[in-house]
Amino acid sequence: MGNPLAVVFDAEDLDDTQMQAIANWTNLAETTFVLPPSTREAHYRVRIFTTQREIAFAGHPSIGTAHAALAAGRVTPTAGALVQECQAGLLPVQVEEREGSTTLSVRVPRSRIVRYAGAEDELVRRCLVGRELGTIAPVLVEGGRRWWLAELADASEVRGMQPDIDAIRELAAQSHSLGLCVFARSAGPGHDLVVRAFPLGVGIIEDPASGAANAAIAAFLDEAGALAGLGDAYVVSQGREMARDAQLQLRIDADRHVWVGGQCQTVIRGQLHW
Amino acid sequence: MRLSRRFVQLDVFADRPGAGNPLAVVIDAEDIDPESMQTFANWTNLSETTFLLPPTSPEASYRVRIFTPQQELPFAGHPSVGSAHAAIDAGLAVPRDGHLVQECAAGLLPVRVDGEGAARRIFVRAPRGREVAVPVESRVWKDVLDGLRLGALPAVVIDNGPRWWLVELADEQTVRAMQPELEAIARLTEATGTVGLAVFAHTAHPDYQLVVRAYCPADGIPEDPVTGSANAAIADWLEQNNALRSRHYTASQGREIGRDGRVRVEVDDSGAVWIGGQTQTVVQGTLDW
Repeated sequence: MGNPLAVVFDAEDLDDTQMQAIANWTNLAETTFVLPPSTREAHYRVRIFTTQREIAFAGHPSIGTAHAALAAGRVTPTAGALVQECQAGLLPVQVEEREGSTTLSVRVPRSRIVRYAGAEDELVRRCLVGRELGTIAPVLVEGGRRWWLAELADASEVRGMQPDIDAIRELAAQSHSLGLCVFARSAGPGHDLVVRAFPLGVGIIEDPASGAANAAIAAFLDEAGALAGLGDAYVVSQGREMARDAQLQLRIDADRHVWVGGQCQTVIRGQLHW
Repeated sequence: MRLSRRFVQLDVFADRPGAGNPLAVVIDAEDIDPESMQTFANWTNLSETTFLLPPTSPEASYRVRIFTPQQELPFAGHPSVGSAHAAIDAGLAVPRDGHLVQECAAGLLPVRVDGEGAARRIFVRAPRGREVAVPVESRVWKDVLDGLRLGALPAVVIDNGPRWWLVELADEQTVRAMQPELEAIARLTEATGTVGLAVFAHTAHPDYQLVVRAYCPADGIPEDPVTGSANAAIADWLEQNNALRSRHYTASQGREIGRDGRVRVEVDDSGAVWIGGQTQTVVQGTLDW
């Protein structure tokens, strides 16, 4: 019901070319490779590849890799936390056991507002034609990668949106961003915010569950002083429009760091012969 | 309730892992309902996912259902080759005199098994391709073949289940260097109700005799790594034009997108086209769904 991820253990003897070839072959948004850490503070090291290139950090691959390392008994949390070493540095992963299920959260490098959409942003308007907007103007944010974020009036505006693929692709190219995320507050049940993400900048029409994009929304709401009604911890529903049903937990800690988390299911378990 | 089932992810038309076209196969699929099959096939994000079932016909060796991320298919080449590979390795089917019978939504289809172990090649007989007259305005062709040196045969639509536009190019170099005009190809295939455009050329290479590329941009697949149905359609078209240089040949496809597939093509005495190749088991494990 969520966002699939392929994780390869024992990746020490794979070179960069082989990792990229495997990630291209799985055809998933991301494939990760687990390696021994190169620093004593880290529990494991991970390299993250899309079908096209290696990336420094991404949310769902970090959570999924931590889940796989725990499920395989390869790591043991220290005081309820793991430290993941990746290209973006050392990132803490929190491990919470509640009612027999495990929720993993990763602290995401914080994104910042680049600028709000202005009169010159004709393309942003084109991407949102026919949608009733929320109270905050669409905004471009950056945290490693860029996203356009747009608040819509309510959950049905988000769920009913037919994305204009060509316009979003053009917007992504023009602004060197991944694309557009839309969101709206929602009365649930079971969630506080409804999100959809259209990363046409990397050739994906819609993403079923976006860790980094949701973290960018949380950081933006915090920076804009717009967390009223959500508080410092809230639950997101994403993916229903593409027949998934993901839940993501967002949290902003006392130091204003953003954490994104959720549960993982091991679907396929076996050996890779490459 | 979650059950553990045997699962493999294969590389079809590949003489080594990573060279071919991936396929997910769920081996013990008896009690999975069709909605769950479709959901899982959407989740794998591969061009096809298949489910192995006990046959309902006494003549069949095994039964398979084939799903893309969006729909069930009656038949497709690379899923059939891969499913037969998985059925044999899982002990669900035993070839008799090198033959199996696959039951699928398109009916009972003969499967041929050549050799054993890593060198084993599995062939399926493709549905007979026929030429379809498709009226097309020249402006729809605009930009599709700009600057490409063409081969001897005219462009044609062949229907062997899916409908393919086929265009012969002058030589291997022209095929390999082609920079596809994806928007123009999408316009062409949408305007003519075809699944994609395949280009091909004869070559004197020692390891393969034909080089092929296939584009399905309107279906969200800019370029397909290795395509059973397109290769079968090309063989039909060559046969109909007495342009086959050999009735048994190997096609190379996928190198331009980082793969290196090999499709073995055989045209039998009745004129039927068989496509086959080697399959690599890349992921072997269990599925909990």
